[in-house]
Amino acid sequence: MDLMKSMAVSASGLKAQSARMRVISENIANAQSVAVSAGADPYRRKIITFANELDKATGANTVTVKSVDEDSSAFNKRYDPGHPAANSAGYVVMPNVNSLIEMMDMRQAQRSYEANLNTIESAKQMMMRTVSLLQNQ
Amino acid sequence: MDPSGLPLMQMITHRMEWLNQRQKVLAENIANANTPGYQAIDLEEPDFAAVLGRSRLKAVTLAVTNSGHIDFNTGGANAAVAKERDVEATPTGNTVVLEEQMIKVAETQMDYQLTANLYAKHISMLKKALGR
Repeated sequence: MDLMKSMAVSASGLKAQSARMRVISENIANAQSVAVSAGADPYRRKIITFANELDKATGANTVTVKSVDEDSSAFNKRYDPGHPAANSAGYVVMPNVNSLIEMMDMRQAQRSYEANLNTIESAKQMMMRTVSLLQNQ
Repeated sequence: MDPSGLPLMQMITHRMEWLNQRQKVLAENIANANTPGYQAIDLEEPDFAAVLGRSRLKAVTLAVTNSGHIDFNTGGANAAVAKERDVEATPTGNTVVLEEQMIKVAETQMDYQLTANLYAKHISMLKKALGR
């Protein structure tokens, strides 16, 4: 039945979006995770990518997490000569996490999650209506 | 009498199947709203004139003279999946617009309710005629 498939597809969407939320919260939590010594790399921002996958059992286009990669952009720098991880010029290398970008990403994940939930709700109501046809007949 | 043989019942079944499948396609679009390169899809609207032509007026159709020929005359319940036109794409090449999809989901749900109500109404009319 297509409505069951529809719910399975939406569930895969929910799973993918919650994985995305996990990665975003990792990034935000580690926004200040600097290296312990000079020359070492601090935390590198992670990026999640989704892929469209055909579920062979149901024949539906579900979504899966393709990969969680590292953001290759340059690290930020902060002047803090007293820090144990400061280099000879007095700069500490900070993670390349921009909290504004993470916030925006989080909002988008939240919106997509809600959209998937709504689709499940709608499919459920359609199903309930079909079942109710059997009642009082 | 078999009520499923009535033209109205057949039409209702056909419509419900179409709405069922559309719901699945829309769920696919929404689930893939953040997948790079994903193209939003939708079902083709059933063509009223074509349905009418199939039942009343005999339109010119392809003849099937060999079992190897593909029969285009049988109008299957499943409408072809068509790519959506005139849509905006994100920088990643994704063409799903969540708002549009949500409207379509609501539309599908409402149409489904309507069709189900029609079905129930029709059955109750038949029952009235039977005196039950």
